[in-house]
Formats: sequence, structure tokens, C-alpha cells
Amino acid sequence: MKYIDYVQLNPFQKFGYNFVKFFKALPGNLKKIFLAIGNFFKKIFVGIGKGFAGYFSRFVKGDWATKCSYLVMGVGNASKGQLVKGFLFLLVEVAYILFMVFFGAFYLAKFPTLGTVSPVDENGRRVKGIIPDNSMLILLYGVMTIIITVLFFCVYIANTKSAYKAQQTVAEGKKPIGFIDELKEFLDSKFHVTLLAFPTLTISVFTILPLIFMILIAFTNFDSDHNELAHLFTWVGFDTFKQVFETSGRASMGATFVELTEWTLIWAVFATVLNYILGMVVALMINKKGIKLKALWRTLFVVTVAVPQFVSLLLMSQMLNVNDGAINTLLCDVLHVIPQHIDFLGGDPLVARITVIVVNCWVGIPYTILITSGILMNIPADLYESATIDGAGPVKSFFSITLPYMLFVTTPYLITSFVGNINNFNVIYLLTSNLQNSNDLYKAGHTDLLVTWLFKLTMNEHDYNLAAAIGILVFIVCATISLLTFNLTKSAKNEEEFS
Amino acid sequence: MKKIIALLLAVLMLASVLAACGGNKTTNDQKTTASGDVFQGEDNVTLLVWAPEAAVELTQQLCDQFKSEHSDKNITIDVKPQEEGDVAAQILNDPSVAGDVFSFACDQMNRLDKSKVLDPVPKADDKLGFDYAGEVKERDSEPSVEAATMKGELLAYPETGENGYYLVYDKSVVSDEDAKTLEGVLAACRKAGRKFNMDAGNGFYSCMFMFTGGLELQGLNDEGVQQFNKYDEEKVIDSLEAFANLFHEYSDIFQSDNVDKTGSGFAQDPRSVAAGIDGSWNAATVKSKLGDDYGAAKLPTINIKGTDTQIISMSGYKLIGVNAQSKAPYTAHALANYLAGEKCQLARAEKLSWSPSNKVAVESEVVKANLGSMACLEQAKNALPQVNIADTFWAPMGTLGNYLVKTKDITRDGIKTEFNKTITNIKDE
Amino acid sequence: MIKSYKIRRVITNIFVYILLGGLGLIWISPLVYLVLHSFRAEGLAQVDYLIPKSYSFQNYIDLFTVTGGGTNFPRWFLNTFIVAIFSCIISTLAVMMVSYAFSRLRFKARKPMINIGMILGMFPGFMTMIAIYYLLKAMGLTQTLVALVICYSAGAGLGYQISKGFFDTIPRALDEAATIDGATKNQIFWKIILPMSKPIIVYTVLTSFIGPWTDFILAKIIMGSKIDNYTVAIGLQNMLAAGKSLTQFKMFLAGSVVVAVPITILFLVMQRYYVEGVTAGGVKG
Repeated sequence: MKYIDYVQLNPFQKFGYNFVKFFKALPGNLKKIFLAIGNFFKKIFVGIGKGFAGYFSRFVKGDWATKCSYLVMGVGNASKGQLVKGFLFLLVEVAYILFMVFFGAFYLAKFPTLGTVSPVDENGRRVKGIIPDNSMLILLYGVMTIIITVLFFCVYIANTKSAYKAQQTVAEGKKPIGFIDELKEFLDSKFHVTLLAFPTLTISVFTILPLIFMILIAFTNFDSDHNELAHLFTWVGFDTFKQVFETSGRASMGATFVELTEWTLIWAVFATVLNYILGMVVALMINKKGIKLKALWRTLFVVTVAVPQFVSLLLMSQMLNVNDGAINTLLCDVLHVIPQHIDFLGGDPLVARITVIVVNCWVGIPYTILITSGILMNIPADLYESATIDGAGPVKSFFSITLPYMLFVTTPYLITSFVGNINNFNVIYLLTSNLQNSNDLYKAGHTDLLVTWLFKLTMNEHDYNLAAAIGILVFIVCATISLLTFNLTKSAKNEEEFS
Repeated sequence: MKKIIALLLAVLMLASVLAACGGNKTTNDQKTTASGDVFQGEDNVTLLVWAPEAAVELTQQLCDQFKSEHSDKNITIDVKPQEEGDVAAQILNDPSVAGDVFSFACDQMNRLDKSKVLDPVPKADDKLGFDYAGEVKERDSEPSVEAATMKGELLAYPETGENGYYLVYDKSVVSDEDAKTLEGVLAACRKAGRKFNMDAGNGFYSCMFMFTGGLELQGLNDEGVQQFNKYDEEKVIDSLEAFANLFHEYSDIFQSDNVDKTGSGFAQDPRSVAAGIDGSWNAATVKSKLGDDYGAAKLPTINIKGTDTQIISMSGYKLIGVNAQSKAPYTAHALANYLAGEKCQLARAEKLSWSPSNKVAVESEVVKANLGSMACLEQAKNALPQVNIADTFWAPMGTLGNYLVKTKDITRDGIKTEFNKTITNIKDE
Repeated sequence: MIKSYKIRRVITNIFVYILLGGLGLIWISPLVYLVLHSFRAEGLAQVDYLIPKSYSFQNYIDLFTVTGGGTNFPRWFLNTFIVAIFSCIISTLAVMMVSYAFSRLRFKARKPMINIGMILGMFPGFMTMIAIYYLLKAMGLTQTLVALVICYSAGAGLGYQISKGFFDTIPRALDEAATIDGATKNQIFWKIILPMSKPIIVYTVLTSFIGPWTDFILAKIIMGSKIDNYTVAIGLQNMLAAGKSLTQFKMFLAGSVVVAVPITILFLVMQRYYVEGVTAGGVKG
């Protein structure tokens, strides 16, 4: 299609065209992604190589103090008058050595086996008078030690660089920068370090460290038969993943994984798309010209956003009860719309799945109203007017003007909410927790998402390794979808700015 | 000077590291103790006791009595509520912050033992000068002691006798005669237009459908897989079918919901429930709401292929365990032994309607006068003790129950398939 | 022609009113049900009719006076409030700092850090809860409120996207002018950008303040059986457990109202800023 044809399409067709184009380009894009990943690793190795080259060349070119600081950190800086800086480097080195001697080395040494001294003997009795190994602590502190070592290594390299830089400055006949001045830089040219230091620290400790730990757990046999209280666990390679994809036997994990993945994706699509479109329709109605009491209408919907979700969902689960739930009472006993009570959550899996999607609409539509109202007002009014003159009804103008415009502007929001829905725990867990359990699924129910299954395996079954493996698979699903859709939006945006 | 500072620093680091990874505790230091001292020299101890919410107040009183009996020791006891069904999950999450002494339902024995979080009851072999295990075996009923024993070792103290569920009914609707057969109960409920409530989706209750057909549990094998007796599959299916058909026939008044809904239906005005299956834990509330209309009896019979068959249920025991990570294990054992004794069992029978396991207490007037306790004890004769059950038993069992009461157009073949699935899932194959 | 157009518009408007009214009713009626039944005097757990037959304040009185055994609502409320205040302050600061750095400053590690942030967001959050528990245990913080504050605010920096989007909309010319006047980046952040960012600050404060009131998973794992340190979310959820709901169901309803009312009011008052913040930031991403 030539550009001139493309411009003449209406926005909806344009989107459709882009959509088709996206799928045609999919193989190419996938290839690009793999190439990008390859390049990424290449860059890393090249970087490391360069780093080492620099490391050695600095050593060769350095004077005695610089050379010395390759062993005793901070000597280079201290000898050039940067006493405080030198002292700080030294302090880091001493602290690290002490840490390793008294703490890190012990756990690092046990890391490859995850412990050998079992707390119980072969008869299963607790052995008295020994200090047993705790595989979980060995793994956790082992990971911690490795992270600290990597960080120390970074400081160490920075130390050699800094020493060499000070040496050069002196060689040029200048005075190296003072400590106070260096600190001042952190408020201006290095302000990003100041801003990011604290959040990066907390995220490293409470998000990244636990994440690495859990990813490693997926490669061990840390489950209910090998918990850390009475047993040791150890590395098992990819056995856990094999277990997840095991398809033999009844209620196999493989079959469960496939069914739950399918349902997770169906759920995420419905939850995202329905909330998005219906929310926009309601927002349009509220903002329609000639509708009065706009604030009242908006408040009616927005109140549900403010009520904590677990309150409204627990309430909903009570109201949807088959025997005395308010909704059954209303529909059957008061209004006589249905002949008998419907088991919304505990009966037919299809009914339960529809119910959770509908309840999710109740929860999610007000959010969409909040987010889209402002943008909807920004759509140029003359677009609608010309559409009306052309004889387009409200439905047609919604699909040919509103939707394409909104899609164009809010794609990032859609991607985040899609990923959010894949990991949407509250709605499913609070509404159906164990009601849909099935003998055809491995410790799961028909409405379970991968993430609620993960939760059940962790909390009820204590099968941490399976849960971790599923977590990794969820990540792979989310990452693939985001990468692909991200490319789609990029291509759409590069095309042209929306008129 | 530098050396001293370095040494000091090293010691400080070591101390903080040891404090940080406090999980690795060496065994309790054995001080010089007089033989026969139940405390083994422990003093100035603080104990955390877990009891179900309804029993917290009473347990605190009993603990205070224990303290006053040992006024020479400085013991602080803190009683916190912890639902019995959830004890294993809570303890396994982190035993170091769990109760030193805790009350739990015996179905969790297996899980607790697997993780070795229960400190075995001191026995004569331990040469401590006292023999709690012997005392327990002497004073408590045989099945309750069996429930507290794993691989020949007594791991906990029996707290109650048969602690199962039974039939509660509104006497103004269901006569004592009606209450003898399930058909009679349901017919009386229908006549009054009121509901019959049981939790068929919960394995603890729904296992009665299988047990009535002759299936029995026979502990676990060495790999921890649930074993059954040589049951006659056709008979089990007969029983399942009879229950399913009966409940479908009365689908207008049969309700499968949370066990609390029985009591809540009695509390409504007008009452919406006429009978239900409920347990001793709700007895006090239900009794106060029904007043003179309060009826309790063993589970009724059900007609299977023309013969009235007694419904076989599951009866559990509440046990008191001592945390293996307790900082004062001997004081904890002394307290657990006290709480499991005759006096405390009687107090619970009186205040909470919990039937005793103590051979003397069970014969007392207090117990005989209590309808709920009597119904419990009566039903226990037709119940399988909840001993040594796999973790994997409950969920598939509950699912089978749901299948039976919720599936429309239920067929014998369908039941058979679902039954076999249930058995495989329980065996975790 | 004009007349028929007018009539058509009136008819569509009536249609829209009816639709809005119906939908509004669906959205609000569960909450009305909640409030009505929180005042219900009769019955114990749920009842099979819609409108209560008698009303009293007893459920609320019970909620605030029954503090023995397994319930201690006043204490829980206070706990949650304290945790919410602290984690809200820390999270807001963290979010502002991260999003400002990513939006206005240029440095070598910026792109990789943004990518890492995106990757971290794709792992299911529950995956790490056991590890977090043991980390907190190693620090001796389990069963304390400090642990909750840490949990709710430590990862807050990862939620920078919306406020970064907001900062992106502030013209860069402002920064440049200030730099020419000799202001450091630190001064620009505190004196120029932050005062202009009221909507996004309110948005961040609001969302991070609400967080502790709604989390019932992590808080439960951290607190275990330490009932005095529970937050309202765990406490209320516990009230519905089998064996408890018989006596505590109505307290659950009353408690839900007590939790929902202040947050709702706060939200409605701040709604304008919330909407401004989220529309400005959410779209650009």
C-alpha cells in the first residue's frame, strides 16, 4: 500500500492495517529481538574485556601509590592529598574482608552443596548437640555474599580509576579535587547518584535479592518434603521445570499448567478489553453534552475505587453466595427473574469464569473512567461533527473516531494493565479461593490464574520450587507479550502523528 | 593498640553475625538438675500458648492456676488465639515465633511430624526422673493416645476426646424420631419449608459419603502415601449414589455451605434452617439461639439399596503439642501436661462442651448432662478416628463432595469416574 | 428538520440518563447493602433477605470495645494508620526521586536502569514473599510494624512510570533557564519542579497511603499470630474464617464501613488532583 492510500483510510482502518502489518512483521521482529539480545551480551563481554584492559594498563602506567592501591585500597588517593576519600576506600576494604572472614566465606563455601549436616538422623529423629546446616539460610546468605562481592568489586575498580585519575591530575600540575567539592558534585552534575542511591539500595535488598533467591530456588528441590526445618535441600538443575511440564498421570502438572495458562490469557484479554471499552463508553455518557449532574454520576462510580478492594471483593463473594447471597435473593426471591438460585462461584466453571470477569468489570470500570475522562475531552470536537454530517451514528463514530484515537494515546496504559491482569490476584483469590478446586487439576481450581496457583503452591503446599518455576514462566509470558506489543506501538507511532 | 581494636571489632562482628542468623540454636544447656525436677532447672521463662479463639479466656485462667501451683518459679504465660485448623501452616512458616505450647487438630500431626517441629513427650527412657508419656497412656483413652503417636513415639498430649461433628436440629420442626434417619430429617425440613445445611465441599464432612460405603483409612506407607482398606468399590459407589440422589431429591431444602451457616440460620428470625451438621465449637452459640428447641444427636442413618445404614463420619482429636524450638522445653511440657490433665479437661467440658479424652472425666456428670458432648461421643462409635492422614486427603475429598451435590443429571458412571480420580489424587499419583 | 434533531437529542439524553441511573445503581448498591447491614441488629451471619428488620449501633460498639481474644480493632486501625503514614512519606519521596532522575537527568546508567525496572515489574510479586520474610527475620524485624513500612516502601521506587510521564510534560526550558541563573540540579528539583507537581504528588501520596489498608497477604505472613500488630485488612479478613463468621460477621461489616469511609472521603476530596496526575502521567508512560 502506498502512503497516499494509507492516509486516505479512516483511523480505524489505519489501526487495522497496522495490526495486520504487525503480524506480518512478527517473524522479522522476533528475529530482531533475538539479535538485540545477542548484541546485548556481546556488548557486555566487550565491556568487560575493555574494563580488564583498562585495569591492567592503569597498573602499568601507575606510579608506586597507584600500584599500591591495587592491593590496599585508597593509598593512591591518600598519597595525593585526598585523605578522606582514601580513608573511605580503605574502610570499605576492611569491612569487606571482615565480612568475608566472619560471615560470607562460611556461606559461600557451603553454597555449592547447600549444606551437608542434616538436622535429623536416618530414623528421622532430631540429632541433639550439633549445629545443623540450614539450606535455606545458606542459599539466602550465599546470594547476599555474592551480591556484596560484586558491589565490592565495583568499588575496587572505582578505587583504581580514582587513584590513576588523581595521579594524572598531579602530573598535570593541578591539585586533586577536595572532598567537600567532590561532595558538592553530588548535588549538581552527579545529582542522579544522590537521587537514586536510596531507592536503588532498598530495591536491591528487598526486590532484587529475593528475586535472585527465588529464581535459584526453582533449580533446587526445596518442597514440602525437603523443607529447611528438618531436611536439607540441594541443586537439581532443571528437574523442577520437567516436573511442571510432566504430563503423565491424572491431574498432571503439565495439563494443569496448559489449562491455567490458557485461562490466564483469556482472562487477561477479557478483563483488559472489557474494562477499557465499557469504561470509555460510560465516561463518554457522563461527559456527553446536555447530561446534567456530571459530578454526581462520576462520584457514584468512583466511590468503588476508594473502597479498599479486599473489602468490596469479600463483600461481593458473600453477596454471590448460592444460598443466602443478596444477588440470588434479589434476582430469584424478590424480582423472580431467575427460577432458582444460581451458584455463581462454586458451580459450573464457565459460570464462575464469567462471574469473575463481570465482577472485575465492576472493580475496574471506574478506574478507566477516571483515567480516560480527561483524554476523551481532548478529542477535537470537529472530528465528531464531520462524522455526524456524514451520517455516522454514535456507535460508528465510537469505533471510527474515539477508539482509534484512544488506542493511539493510551497503548502504554493498555500494556501495563494487560500485564497487571495476568498477575491480578485479588479478584480471583477473594472470590473463588478454593470453590473451583478440581480433581482434574494439580492442586488448583478452574478459575485459578497462574499467579493464584503459585500462591496456593507456596502457602498451602509449601512446594516453593514449583512455585518459583511457575513464577519464572509467568515472567517469560509477560516479557514476551510486552516486547511484542511494544514493537507494535513503536511501529504505529513512527508512522505519523495522529491528526 | 591496633591489635586490640581489631580483635574487639572482630568479636563485635562475630556477635552481630551470630545474632543475625539466630536460627542455629545449640541444644539447651543442661544445668545441674535434681532428678525428677520437671522444670530441669528452668526459671524466669516466658511461654506463648496458642489456643483457639473460643478457648483463649479459659486457657488463660487454667494457665494462671498452673502458675499459682508453681509459685516458686517465675513463669509468664501469654495465651494468643490461633485457629486449630491453621496451626501447621503457621508453625511451618516460622517455628521460632510460634507458640511454645499449642493446641491443634490431629489431622495435622503428619505435617508437623514431617518437619520435626513437635518435641516428643518426655518418657521414662529419657531418664529425667519423670514420665509424662506413661502418665498420658495411663489416663487417656486409647484412640486419643494413638492419635498423638507417630511411629511408636508419643508426640503430643490428648486435649479432647472425639471431637467430631453431629446432627443439630430444631426440635420444634424435627422430632427426635425424625432425627434417626436422614430421610426423616430432610422430610421434616421440607414440611416446614426450612433448610438442611452441611458443608459437602469440605473433606472433613464429605468423607462420610465414602466411609458409609465401607471405605477405611489405614495410615500411610513409608513413602507417606495414604493407604486404604480392601474396600468393595461397588458398595462405596452405592453409598455415594445414595447420598447424591437423596440430596438431589431434596435440592429445594438441601444447602451445602460453610458450617457456620447452620447456626446463622437458627439465629435468623424466622429461622431459615431446621437442621444441620455442626460441631462442638459452635455448640454454645447454637444452644443459646435455639433455647429449649435445641436438639443434638449422632448422625442419622441413610437408606442404601433398601437398608438403613448408619452414617460413618470422621472423628478427630484435639492435641496439645510442644514446640521443638521452645526456649524452655521442660516448663512447656509441664504446662502442656497440666493443660491436658483431668481437671482442665473437665473445665473445658463444662465451659466449652468439649468432650474429654480423660478416662475419669468422660464419666462425669458434667459431660453426661451435655447434649453436644454426648452426641459427639455417641457418633464417635460410628466414626473413623482421624489418625495419620495424608495432607493430600482433604482437597480431593472436598471436590468429590461438591461433585456429588452440585452436578446435575448425576449418573453412576460419572460418580465412579470421579471417585477413582479422587482416590488417585489422594494418593498423589 | 431542526425540531426532529432536537427531539432525537432529548430521546438519546433520556436513554443515557436511564442507562447511567441503572449502572449507577449497580455500582453503588453493594456499598449501600454493606452500610445497611452493618447496622443490622438481628441475626448472626448473612441473612437471606435484603433489608434488615431492625437497626442498632451494637456492631460498631462491639467493634471498638471487644478487644480481648482474637479481635482488637482500635489497635489495628491505629497500626494501619501509622504504617500508612510512614510508608506514604517514604514511598512518595522515593517515587519522586526516581522519576525525576529518569525524566530530567541524563546519565550513562539511565537506559539500563529503566530496563531493569521494567523487567522486575514482570515477575509476580508473590514469588518473593518467603525470601522477604527471611530477610526481615535476619534483621530481627518480623512481627513488627517497621517490617511492614519497609515492605510497602522499599520497592516503591519501581512505580515511577506515571510520575515520570508527568515530569516529561513539564517543559525543559524551565530547567535550562534555571541552570543559566546558576541553580544546581538539586535546587531545580526542590524549588522548581516539585512545587509544580502537586497533582502527581497527591496521586502518589494517595495510592501509597491506601496500600497498607488493602494488603492482607504480606502483612499476614509477616505478623503470623501477633494479633496486636495486625493491620485492619488481616483483621477483617480473619473475621470471615469458618468458625468465626458466626459471631463476627456483623463486626466485619461494621469494620469495613469504618475503613472505607475515611479513605473514600479522602479520595473524593483529592479526586481532582488524582485525575490530573494520572491523565498527565499515565498516558505518556
